[in-house]
Amino acid sequence: MSADVSDLSLVRRVQRGDKGAFDALVLKYQHKVVKLVMRYVRNPAEAEDIAQEAFIKAYRALPQFRGDSAFYTWLYRIAINTAKNAVVSRDRSPIDFDLDLQNPDESYDMQGRLADKETPEALTLTDEIRSTVNAAIEALPEDLRMAIVLREIEGLSYEEIAESMGCPVGTVRSRIFRAREAIDRRLREVFEGGLGRAEELG
Amino acid sequence: MNEELDSQLSAMFDDELPEDQCQLLARRLSRDDALKARWRRYAVIGAAVRAGRADGQPTVRLETNLASRVSAVLSTEPALTGVPAAETRKTAGMRWWHPVVGGAIAAGVAAMSVLWIRGDAPVGVGAQLADNAAASVAVSGLRAEVAADTSAPDSFVVPTNVQRNRIVPTAELANYVVAHSEYSAPAFRRNLISALIASNEGTAGVVDESDDANVVESPAENVEEEK
Repeated sequence: MSADVSDLSLVRRVQRGDKGAFDALVLKYQHKVVKLVMRYVRNPAEAEDIAQEAFIKAYRALPQFRGDSAFYTWLYRIAINTAKNAVVSRDRSPIDFDLDLQNPDESYDMQGRLADKETPEALTLTDEIRSTVNAAIEALPEDLRMAIVLREIEGLSYEEIAESMGCPVGTVRSRIFRAREAIDRRLREVFEGGLGRAEELG
Repeated sequence: MNEELDSQLSAMFDDELPEDQCQLLARRLSRDDALKARWRRYAVIGAAVRAGRADGQPTVRLETNLASRVSAVLSTEPALTGVPAAETRKTAGMRWWHPVVGGAIAAGVAAMSVLWIRGDAPVGVGAQLADNAAASVAVSGLRAEVAADTSAPDSFVVPTNVQRNRIVPTAELANYVVAHSEYSAPAFRRNLISALIASNEGTAGVVDESDDANVVESPAENVEEEK
C-alpha cells in the first residue's frame, strides 16, 4: 500500500474546489500540528492559533502542492515555519495583546477568546477524554489492544503489524477498526452531547 | 451507519485503503457530516492514546474547535479552482511540442506532395508547384533538388504519352492534406490543392481520370468551405 494515498485523495478534491475535503485534513492532523507547534510555544492556546494560521497558509498554498512529498511532511514544514515566525514576532513585541486603540472591540475579543480557551473546564475535558480512552484500551481483548497500540503509538503499517502479530493484513484492518469502534462507544457514552460540542459552538 | 463503510474509513484514516476506494470515500467524507464526525473521533482517539504516554510534555487539548475556526476563516475565501500543480506541469510539458509536431506534419505533407508532383505532373508545372510548396515550409534541401531538375539538359526527347509511376495516389494525398489541414498554412493548402487539380487536368489524357478526378474535387471543395 502506498503511503499518503488517502491524504492525496483529499488534497486533490480540495484542489478542485471541495472545501469539505480540507476539513477532513484539518480534523486528521490538528492534534499532531498543535503538538508540533508546542515544541516552539508552550502555551496550548497560542499553539492552536499558530496551528490555525498554518492550516490556512497550507490551504492557500495547496494549488502549488504537487504531491512530490507526503502531505503531512509538507504541512509540518509550513507549521514549523509559521511557529518560528510567530516566536520571532512575539519576541519583537513584548506586550502580546496590547489594546488596539484603532479597533478596541476586536482587540478585546482577541484577548477574551484566548483567555477562554485556557479555562480549567477545557483542561478537565482533555483529561477525561484521555482517561476514558486509556480505560477503553485496557478493557479491549488482547489482540485488539495490541493492534491499536502498534498502530497509534508505534506508528506501524498494517503489513508490519500483520508480520509482528502473525496474522493476515485483513485481520489487522478488522482488529484496528473494532478497537476504534469499542473506544468510540465509550467516548460517546461518557461525553454524550459533550464531545463535538466545541466544534458545534466554534 | 454501514459497518463496511466505517471499516473503510478506519483504513483510510491509516492510509491503508486502496486508492480507488480512497477517492470514492474522500468524496463522501467531504460531504457527510456523520462520517466526518466519526473521522474526527478517530483523530481524537489517536491523540489520546499518544498523549497517555507523553508524561511531562505539555498537553495538547483533545477537545478543540480548531477545525471550525479554520473552516470559518476559509469560508470567506473562494474555493480553489486551479488544476493541481502536478497536472499543470504535465500539461505544460506536453504543450511545447504541439507546434513542433504540426510543423513536422506540414513538412511531411510538403515533401510527399513534391515527390508526388515530380512523379505525376508534367515536368514544368510540377517543378514550379513543388518549388512553391517547398518555399512555404522552407525545405531547402528539396528546393535545391527541384532546382537541379529544372536546369535544361543538353538534349532530350519529350515523349507524347508518359505513364509515370505515382508515388502517392491522388485520392490518398488529398485526403491526407484535408485531414491535417489544421497543421498547414492556408496559402500552402491553396497551392497544394491547386497543384492537385492542375496535375489532374494536365495528365487527364494519361492517367485514368474516372476515379481520381472525383476524389480530388471533393476535398478541394471542403477546403474552400472551410475557408
